[in-house]
Amino acid sequence: MNTNMAKAGAESPVLSLLERLPVLSFYARTRGWHYVISWCNRIAGLLLVIWLWLHIYFLAFLYTPSTYDGNMKIFRYFILVFLQWILSLPVIFHAFNGGRLILYEVFGKRNDETMVRWMIGLSVIYIGLVGLFMIMGNQSASPFFFWLLMLLTALICGYGVARKLWHSEHSIFWKLQRISGAFLLVLVPAHLLFMHLNPSVAMEASVVIERMQNWFIKAVDLILAVAALYHGGYGLFSVLSEYLSSRILRKGLVCVVAFITIIFAWIGIRLILTV
Amino acid sequence: MDSNYKLTLKIKRYNPDTKESWVQDYVLEVGRILRFTDLFRKINNELDASLAWNSSCEHAQCGTCAVKVNGKPLLACELLVENAVNQFHTTIFHIEPITIAPVVRDLIVDLEKAYERVNEAKPYIIEPAKNPSQGNDYQIFPRNLERYVDATRCINCFCCATVCISSHKGFLGPNAVMASIVRLMDPRETARKERLDTLYSEKGIYRCHTSKACSFVCPKEIDVAHFIALAKEGRFKSKDSR
Repeated sequence: MNTNMAKAGAESPVLSLLERLPVLSFYARTRGWHYVISWCNRIAGLLLVIWLWLHIYFLAFLYTPSTYDGNMKIFRYFILVFLQWILSLPVIFHAFNGGRLILYEVFGKRNDETMVRWMIGLSVIYIGLVGLFMIMGNQSASPFFFWLLMLLTALICGYGVARKLWHSEHSIFWKLQRISGAFLLVLVPAHLLFMHLNPSVAMEASVVIERMQNWFIKAVDLILAVAALYHGGYGLFSVLSEYLSSRILRKGLVCVVAFITIIFAWIGIRLILTV
Repeated sequence: MDSNYKLTLKIKRYNPDTKESWVQDYVLEVGRILRFTDLFRKINNELDASLAWNSSCEHAQCGTCAVKVNGKPLLACELLVENAVNQFHTTIFHIEPITIAPVVRDLIVDLEKAYERVNEAKPYIIEPAKNPSQGNDYQIFPRNLERYVDATRCINCFCCATVCISSHKGFLGPNAVMASIVRLMDPRETARKERLDTLYSEKGIYRCHTSKACSFVCPKEIDVAHFIALAKEGRFKSKDSR
C-alpha cells in the first residue's frame, strides 16, 4: 500500500520543498514519509534523553540559591534563549508523534495523514506560543492551578491508554512505556511552557524555592521526573537493542540503561525532596 | 513517441572467490515495456554472461527477483522500463542486492539465511484443528475473510525487511511477523498460545516502531504496518479475531 502523504491543501508547497532536500528526499522516495518521521522521532527522543540527564545533573550542582542565581544568569544571553526555544521543537514533535503512534497502535486510528496534519499544525501553534511567551516575558499563572489542570489531563490520557492495554498480553515494560508516553505527552510540553511564562519562574532561586515548598508541586515534579526517566530509559534500550544480535549483549545493555536511569532518578528525587 | 530508452544500469557486483565488490556500468538500448529481469537477461546474452541474478516465476508470485533499484527494494520482474523512468525521473539506475542476508554473488542473496527468521515464526499450521463434521467447513467470520485473504498475499520477497527501521538483528522482520499473524487468523490453527508468545517475544512486535516503510514498499500492496498494529491492539488474542 502506498503510504505517500497526499499532496493537497496547505502542506503541498511544504512537501515539495522537503522533497528537494538531498537525504530526506531519498528516504521519502524509497521508504515513505512515515519512515522519515520515525527517524525524526528517534533523534528527538535521543536529544530529549540527553537533555533530561543534563538537566537533572546541572540542577543538582546548583543547589544553593546564590550558585543557582549566579549560573542561571547565562540563560539570559540571546543564543541560550534561542536554544531554549529551539528545544520546544523536539519536545512537541516527540510528544505529538508519540500521541499519533498510540492512537494508531493502541486505539486503531488509521487515518494517519489527517493525524500528521494535526500534529504539524498543533506543533507550530505550540512552538509559536512558547516563542511569544519568551518574547513577552511577563506572563504568570498560579502554579497549583496550572499543574492541577495539567496533572488531571495527563492522568486522563495515561488512564485511557492503561485501560486499553492493561489486560493485553504485552510485556509490562512495553505497556508502561505507552502509558508513561501518554502521561508525558501533556506534562513535558506543559513543563516547558510553564518555565517560560516569565524569566523569574525558572531563573530566580527564591521563586523556585517558594514554588517547591508546595507538596503538590513536589509530587508533580517527582512523578514527572520518574515517568520521563523510565520512558527515556526504555526508549533508549528499545532502539539500541535493535543493533545487538547477542542475547548477552542485550542483557548487558538493560543493566547499563537501568543503572544510569536509577542513578539519575536518585539524584532527581533527592533534589526535588530537599529543595 | 520514442519507444526505446537508452538506460545506464550501475549494478553492484560481488565475487565471492576474491571477496571483491565493485559497481559495473551497462548501457542498454531497450524497449519501454521490457521488465528489469529482461534487462538482466539481455546483459547476460549480449554484454556480460557473468552477471548473476535470481528469478523464478517472473510474474511477481515468488519474490526471488527482489533487488534494490535506486535505493528502493522491488521485484525486478514487475518493474517495466517506462514505469521505472517515470517513477525515478532518470535513465540511470543503481541496482543492488537486497540487504537482508549475505550476498552469494552479484544480485543473489542467501535466501536460506533470510528464511531462518521466517522459519522462527513457523509459517505453517503448528497444531491443526480436528476436521469439521461432515457438511461443515472450517469457519471464518465474513468480516475477517477479506483481511485474511489480504494477509495471505505475502510472498516473502523480503522487500519489507530490507527497509524496516528496526534493522535486521533484533527483529524477526515484518514478513515473518505476518507469517505468524496469518496463522493466528486461520481457523485451522490451534496453537494460539505458542503463536502469541512468538508475537509478544523480545524479537516480536515490540521491535516494530510503525515507520510503515514495509507498507510503502510491499510489491503486493499489503498494509503490513496495519496488521502488526492489529497485533499490538491485541486483536488476535481471542478466537473471535479470526
